[in-house]
Amino acid sequence: MYKLTHLLFGQTEPSSVIRTTDGACIPFDPDNTDYQAYLRWLEAGNTPEPAEENQ
Amino acid sequence: MALTQVDQGLLGTNAQYTGFKNRIINGAMVINQRGSSSYTINTDPVYTLDRFSLGQGGNVNSFTVQQSTTVPTTGFKNSMLVTMGTGVTVAAGAYAYLRQAIEGYNVADFNLGSSTASPFTVSFYVRSNVTGTFGVSLRNGGSTATYCATYTINAASTWEYKTVTIPAITSGTWTTDNTSGLELYFDLGVGSTYSGTANQLNTGANYFGVTGTTKLAATTGATFYITGVQLEKGSTATSFDYRPYGTEFQLCQRYYQNLGNVGVSALNATGVVGFLFPTLMRATPTITFSYNGTSNAIYRFSDAAVSTLSSPTIIATSFGMQNMYAFSPASWASTPGYGYQAAFVLNAEL
Repeated sequence: MYKLTHLLFGQTEPSSVIRTTDGACIPFDPDNTDYQAYLRWLEAGNTPEPAEENQ
Repeated sequence: MALTQVDQGLLGTNAQYTGFKNRIINGAMVINQRGSSSYTINTDPVYTLDRFSLGQGGNVNSFTVQQSTTVPTTGFKNSMLVTMGTGVTVAAGAYAYLRQAIEGYNVADFNLGSSTASPFTVSFYVRSNVTGTFGVSLRNGGSTATYCATYTINAASTWEYKTVTIPAITSGTWTTDNTSGLELYFDLGVGSTYSGTANQLNTGANYFGVTGTTKLAATTGATFYITGVQLEKGSTATSFDYRPYGTEFQLCQRYYQNLGNVGVSALNATGVVGFLFPTLMRATPTITFSYNGTSNAIYRFSDAAVSTLSSPTIIATSFGMQNMYAFSPASWASTPGYGYQAAFVLNAEL
């Protein structure tokens, strides 16, 4: 359902996650309702897919 | 010209009569950025005409929503039409509702939850082929306090104007920031688990329906038109706040933007760089993009090629997209100096 995004230049932690059902990029903003849904999904015991490897 | 008459409604001490008195956005159902001619409610919730969502769950599962040109004879151009498929007896834990969440900043002056709280009034035009007493609720963003009320549809398939005044709510927690401050719910078929008692503030559970009211979901082919939805400070319903189309559109864009094709360009090796949003958004938005209807596709000007990006990472804020990067195809998002184009959808709904 979700896939982690790769780290961009200078990042030490990801700042968004991909919703695999529609490819949406969901920012880690606590006021974003999609991010709130992602947090509930994590709390339910789910784990996101790992980020793709750098090419 | 001499002043000969003052409307009694204008004399209320708490009412507002200037522009922007309506805290509901797109209350006239004119803006439809998502662009669908018919919304099938297959998740909970589905955002339909701008700022309005419809949710359903349990055994209530066949509502659809359309933008309609059936309107009352009072100057409106559009209404929202909600149609029920096969009617059901609403189970206790089932629900169907029409909702708009109002950002806390936009109702901060109501002073909800304090001793200085102001009453407020909801008004709207409604038309249904089902008559009866229906529920309308005002809930806080934390889902812990809900004032429940009712209105009556007296005649079938006839436009009627309804007003519901909510007395000052002096308890509960009501946010006044960019999160959900006050949520308006129309009960289309909410079961007993989520229904509170009419004409009082219900606390201690998540209520967005009203006990003992008529459930539209119970009638096969039930129709429910609504427009002119207004929520204003004070205990008097005043005339609908007709705002310029462009202004209303920009108010909607704080929560959702469908930008169509936007040109972006690559910057050194950091990927495709971004653009400012036309309107400051409520929060950092969820972003999807496509080209000619293909998700994650982007058009490159230099060779008129289209490619689908794999796992694109987008960095954005509430005022703009700063960076978009994708690993596959590797050369696309990292070639400096190239121009690209894609249609972006930004979502910061409540």
